[in-house]
Amino acid sequence: MNARKYIEKEQKAMQKLMNFRLPRKFMYYGLTIAALSIIMMFVRAFLLEGDTLMLKEVLKKTLLVGMLIMSLSEDKEEDELTIKLRMQSYAWAFVIGVIYALIMPYVEYGVSNAVNSGGEAYKDLGDFQVLLFMLMIQLMFYHTLKRYR
Amino acid sequence: MENTIHVERAILKLTQDELAKKIGVSRQTINSIEANRYVPSTVLALKLAEVFGKSVNEFFSLSDDD
Repeated sequence: MNARKYIEKEQKAMQKLMNFRLPRKFMYYGLTIAALSIIMMFVRAFLLEGDTLMLKEVLKKTLLVGMLIMSLSEDKEEDELTIKLRMQSYAWAFVIGVIYALIMPYVEYGVSNAVNSGGEAYKDLGDFQVLLFMLMIQLMFYHTLKRYR
Repeated sequence: MENTIHVERAILKLTQDELAKKIGVSRQTINSIEANRYVPSTVLALKLAEVFGKSVNEFFSLSDDD
């Protein structure tokens, strides 16, 4: 295999990867997983007793997985405009997510110390908070852009 | 970019939905193209040309700000 053919093969593989989408029905699977995770989070917080820290961590992960499945699933009418809108929503989610991760710790620290003197110590955001925020922004932007197309 | 797709569509007595089905996109995409909110790809422009039986530059033209 010469270099040109190798590059073309790589380009095709990359294109296939970029165009990857889960079938439409996965939107409902994702929605169900995310909804169940949120419900279980409330159940854990208000009804379950004892050490449920492990369950909390698992539910955080399943919520992210559910939202990722929703984000990756195909639209009912998938065409080049919806693909463009999805790309725009990912770009905005990335930019807003970075700004959120940079600013939010200072906001939390400032508010906490303004409300009660000697409030919380400064701490960075956790991965769950940033990823959840980015996925929420992506889904929200995509569906809003789609509504106004 | 400006276009006269709605005129071409009227000549063929096609609704936005019918045209959308012919070229495999959603009705909203045709609406966005007609309203100049979205510039279609070359593939989609050629599909439109095939439906209208005309060349692409007969119904797409550059505007002053392009």
